Formats: sequence, structure tokens, C-alpha cells
Amino acid sequence: MVSASAYVPAIVLLPFVSFLVALFGRENLPKKGAYGGIAATAGSLALSLWVLVSVRNGDAFQETYYTWATGVGAQDWTLTFGALIDPLSALMLVIVSLIATLVHVFSLGYMNDEGERDLPRYYAGLGLFTASMLGFVIADNLLMAFMFFELVGLCSYLLIGFHFREPGPPSAAKKAFLVTRFGDYFFLVGVVAVFTTFGTAAFAGAESFPAIAEAALNGEATVWTPGGLDVSTWFTVVGLLVLGGVIGKSAQFPLHTWLPDAMEGPTPVSALIHAATMVAAGVYLVARMYGFYVLSPTAMGIIALVGGFTALFAATMGVVKQELKQVLAYSTISQYGYMMLALGAGGYVAAVFHLTTHAFFKALLFLGAGSVIIAMHHVEDMWEMGGLKDRMPVTYWTFLAGSLALAGIFPFAGFWSKDEILYEALIHGLDEPLILAGYVMGLLAVPVTAFYTFRMVFLTFHGEPRSSLARDPHPVRWNVKGPLSVLGILAVITGGINLVPVQKVLGIEGIDYLHLWLDNHWGGIEGLSSHHYADLDPYSSTYLFGGEVPTVLAGAAVSLGLALAGVGLAWVLYNVAEPTEHTVKLGGVRDLLYNNYYQDEFQVWLSDRTRDTAGGADTFDQGIVDGVVNGVSSVSLLSSERVRRIQTGIVGNYALLLTLGLTTLLVVFGLLGGWFL
Amino acid sequence: MVPVEYYLLLSSAIFCIGLFGVLTRRNALYFLMSVELMLNAANINLIAFSFQWGNLTGQTFALFTIALAAAEVAVGIGIILVLYRNFGDIDVMDAATMRW
Repeated sequence: MVSASAYVPAIVLLPFVSFLVALFGRENLPKKGAYGGIAATAGSLALSLWVLVSVRNGDAFQETYYTWATGVGAQDWTLTFGALIDPLSALMLVIVSLIATLVHVFSLGYMNDEGERDLPRYYAGLGLFTASMLGFVIADNLLMAFMFFELVGLCSYLLIGFHFREPGPPSAAKKAFLVTRFGDYFFLVGVVAVFTTFGTAAFAGAESFPAIAEAALNGEATVWTPGGLDVSTWFTVVGLLVLGGVIGKSAQFPLHTWLPDAMEGPTPVSALIHAATMVAAGVYLVARMYGFYVLSPTAMGIIALVGGFTALFAATMGVVKQELKQVLAYSTISQYGYMMLALGAGGYVAAVFHLTTHAFFKALLFLGAGSVIIAMHHVEDMWEMGGLKDRMPVTYWTFLAGSLALAGIFPFAGFWSKDEILYEALIHGLDEPLILAGYVMGLLAVPVTAFYTFRMVFLTFHGEPRSSLARDPHPVRWNVKGPLSVLGILAVITGGINLVPVQKVLGIEGIDYLHLWLDNHWGGIEGLSSHHYADLDPYSSTYLFGGEVPTVLAGAAVSLGLALAGVGLAWVLYNVAEPTEHTVKLGGVRDLLYNNYYQDEFQVWLSDRTRDTAGGADTFDQGIVDGVVNGVSSVSLLSSERVRRIQTGIVGNYALLLTLGLTTLLVVFGLLGGWFL
Repeated sequence: MVPVEYYLLLSSAIFCIGLFGVLTRRNALYFLMSVELMLNAANINLIAFSFQWGNLTGQTFALFTIALAAAEVAVGIGIILVLYRNFGDIDVMDAATMRW
């Protein structure tokens, strides 16, 4: 029996091969490279499922494939590529490859059937994007993770700017690249700091940096700190540096501004970015090195606060948007805020749970939006839609399932995961003001989320058609309906993998599968279990109303009640034949929200203020650094210009030089040898 | 028997004449002849020392040098012919077009 572990590199390499095929095959490929991409990602999916099953059978492992640099002397670091397959990465592999496969199939309908040009470039980008994310997921050390993190960023740049002939997409692509790069700068410094502090960047094992950090805090190991800084303070600093990259990629406040603009990319790409790859990478990174973050209460508090704030902040902006994909973009920022809140509040499993369910329902919503956009001949304004319910039933019902999940309505997937996040934040937050603040903001975001989600649903699908396009929509084919149906089913049932509230209230043991899974119940790698993290985290649990069960019920009732209130408000205001724009009544607040709290303007203002500093740095770079290099080359150029003049081309001159040289040598040797004395 | 110093004086005189020719002449044929003189100056040295020490190695080398000189002349004449075809003259100063 061949072990699944031997095929782990193939999971990454298959989409990479499809990238190469699409790159060099160009226009000759069947369906312009789509079939190759589907085959490759489906192969990755099959292998990922196999890996998942083998991890279920206790076959988690860590393996180094290639050592590409070895340090010498005191800094004997080794830089390696390797795979770390444990319950977390096996689960993520399945999510990423599944979404990627469905996105490839959907692209047949969204790109090929719509007659887009340059499709091999598109499929090459998708292949590389998937390969980079899968490589990031299996990474067994921070440096390898960083490299694939950057590749993911590059691919998002290429795909967001796919329609580079129009003015919007290239600019959005540049913005996405620069804003995430700003965060990655801190990440890179963090990677170097991890290496200098611990001498390793491995995620797992006794010699990994979380393990060494834990030992150092217990006084069992010594690590380098700058200027003899306190160990725990320094760990907080390192954690926050790495968090910079996470905030950029996962679009958390204040680096979230790139994400709404990234809607300029093709809709399937948006689905991939939001559900499984780019944005998920940030949250996954925190989960991957969670053993390090739990050691620093300050960093955890900041993560929770940033997450909670982003959840509320982005949700409010989603309320006033006119375009379908814009609403979804802000909902993504908000949902990733929830995941960060969960991570900061010690809810490791809750965060991974929400990452999973969100991947399914957000991919579903984006693909549903893509289906609507095909039907509407690429009009995205919701005020042009309406009444699509009867004209595209598959899209409507699946989109509705996704929306119910996003709004957190019982018993759809999003309800279970969001509820668990809020529950974790509540029980840990009663003693921790930072987390309590995150909880309150997360709770306030619930009705807002439900409201904007159903405003979107009602405006798009209910009421009377508000334009001729909506009266006679373009039909969609199997390649759109198929992925939608798969994801629609997943959005309904995924909550079943982790029915913690049911277990607690009814006392049925063993139905919290995700908890058991991440707790190495079926085997895993020591030190990477949720149990281990729970032992380390600095929080104590406090229950309301005298017990766990009442707290669970009260928390669930409050969040479900708020969500239903949000849906109800949307129902009253927008589920009418001829809806009007009620948000206009908000006046100045609406302008503030519609302009994203003037965040973009603020960032432009900030970059104007720093222009002088940047100019100074540029002068230094061009003048001093480049000047030295250019100086060396111009000196040699100039001297060679002079020296080559002695080569006259006249043979007599050469003979003369030879003779004179010989004579000089003779005289010198004669003098030294004492002939003339 | 003539002492070896006289042979050495003769050979260095011939060598200097050859060197003078190379340094002063512009005609390539004079060049060839001057080089021939210098080679033969070396030959005289070889044979003189061979005679002095009663060792035949020097004479063998002299024979090799003569054969080499013949080959050198063949190549040299070929170069001069090409020079003439390209520049219409055999002045060595003309052939300076391949410098920088």
C-alpha cells in the first residue's frame, strides 16, 4: 500500500503543471486551458482527500524535501522546503483544492462562454494561484510560508489586473499589490526576527520556534533578544511583526482598502481570492503558528480587537453599497474579522470552523453573483436587477442558502461557526476588556450583516424587474449551475461537522468532529493540537447564568435574534415590488459609509505627507548606494578608455615595446645580480 | 681554435642588425629578412656552444630552427600577399584598422 504522504508534493505540482501548460500551450489548448486546469485541480482534490483520510488514520507527518541553504559558524540555520501534514493543513488542502476545482469549472461558463480573450493567460494565473496557496498550506516553516505568501500576492496582482486594457483593473491590481506588500514588509522583518531569536523557523516539533518560545518563557531555554529586552515583550513584538503580513493579506483594518477594489478582477477570481486563497492565507498563518501567538496575551488581545473592529467596521460599509460584488467584498472583510476575533479570543477551533464554512458559503455567493452578472450582461448595479427569482431558480435557491449562512441563520453553516466564535469571545471576554470589546463589536455586526445580506438578496432576486435586462436575463449553463449546487449543499450542511452547542445542551458526546479532529483525536503532530493551545492560552472561562448550558443558549439566542432582526428589517424595507433607496435617509452618515469612511482619501493624504521621506530615501538609494556601484564601473570604463590607446595597431611599436621591455629587464636583473660592479 | 667569445660577438652583431631592421623599416619584406637574421644569430650561438662543449644537442636545435625559419617564411609571405591585396601596399603601418 502506497502511503499518501509520498504524493503530497504532487498536490502542489499538479496546478503548477497546468500553469506551465497554459503558459506554453497558448491558444492551441482545448477550451484555452480550462480542461487542463480542471484536471489538475481535480487531481489535487483527489490527492488532498486521500491525505485527509490518511491523517484520519493517524498518518500525520513532517518531512523535509530540500535543504537549499545551510549556515556556517554560530548561525547554523538551515533553510528548507518541506511539508507539514497535520489535521489543520489536511483540512485546508481539501478546502483550497475543492474551491479551486469548482472555480475552474465555473470559469468555463463565466469566461469561455462569454467569449473573453487571452484565456490561456487567465488559466495560467489560476493554476499558479492554486499551486502557490497549496504550497503555502503545506509549508513546514515560516520562510517557506513567506515565499508562497508572496507568490499568492503576485498571482492576485496578475489576476485582478486580468482585463488590463481597461483603466480600472490595472490600478486595482497595483493597489492590492502595494497595500499587501506594505504588510508583508513587516512580515519579512518578523521572519528575520524569528530566525535571529530562535535559529529556526520550523512550525512543528521539539526544535520548532513555538516550542522554543514556550521553553524560554518557562526559563528552560535561552534565546537572543535585542538589547536584553524582556523575553515576553520581544515575543509580542515578533508576533505583531508577522501579524502585519496577516493584516495586509486578510484585509483587516487598516490595510483592508485593497479588497473592495479587487472586485475589478473576473468574478471567479474574486471567489477564489475571498474563499480559499489570498485572504484565507492570513488567517491560516495565524492558526498555523498559533502556538506562538498564545504565548503573548498582548498580541492576542490586539488580534481580537482588530478582528472585532474590522467585523463591525466593514459590515457598516456593506449596508450602503449599490453593486452586488461590493456588498460581498465588505462582507468578506467583516467575516475575516470574525475569524481574527476568534483567534485572538482563544477560539482556535472556532476560527478554523468559520474559515471552513466561510470558504464554502462565500465561494457560493461569489459564484452566484457571477451567475447573476452573466444573466445581466455584466451589469452589477443591484438597482438594475430585481425579480430574478423566477427567471433563474437554481441561482436563487443556492444564493439564498449562502445568504442564510452568511447572515448566521439557524441551521445553516454560518450560524454554527459564527455562534461559536461569539461564544468563545464571550466566555473568555468577561475577564478581559480587550476581548469583551471585540465581542461587543462582533455582536453588533451580526444584525448589520444580516441586514445587508438580505438587502442584497431582495434587491437582486425579489420584487419587479427594474430594467429590460432583468426582464430577460441571459441563461446560464451546467458549468455555472453545477458548482453552485455543490457549494449550496455544502453551505447548508457544513455546520454539521462541529455541533458543539447541540453536544453541550443535549449532552450527546462525540458530535463535535472538528474539535476532535483538531485535538489530534485521530492522531496528529504533538504540540499542534487545540488542547495544547488551550493549555497555553492566558484566558479563564467565565459563564453567565450559573453554567455552561445557559450561556450557550443565551449566546445563541441573542445572536440569532439579532440576525433575525436584521433580516426582518431588510424584509420590511426591501422585499416590496418597487423598493426605494432607504439608506438615503441616513444623510451624512450614508455619504460617510458610501465613501468607506474616507479611508482611501486618508491613505492618499498619508502617502502625500510621507512623500518627502520617500524622496530622501530615493535620493540616498540612487545617490549613495547606486552611486558607489556606478562609480566603480565608470572608473574602470574611463581608465580602459585611456589605456587602450597604447594598442596602436602598428607592428613596429609593438616590437619597440618588446625590445625596450627586454632591455629594461636585462638592466634590472643585471643591477640586482651585480654584473656592472 | 677560435675562442667562443668571437662567435658570440658575431652573433650579437647580427642580432642587433636584425633588430635594427625590424624597428626602422616599414616594408614587410625587410621585416621578414630581419627576422631571418635574428634567427640565424641564435643559430650561431647554438652551434658555437655545441662546438665549445663537444655536445651535439646544439647542432640538432640549429637544424630545427632552420626548418622552423622555412615554415615561418612560408606563413610570412602568405601574410604579405594578403596585406598587398587588401591595402595595395606592403607597408606594415597601413595594417592598423583592427585596433579599438
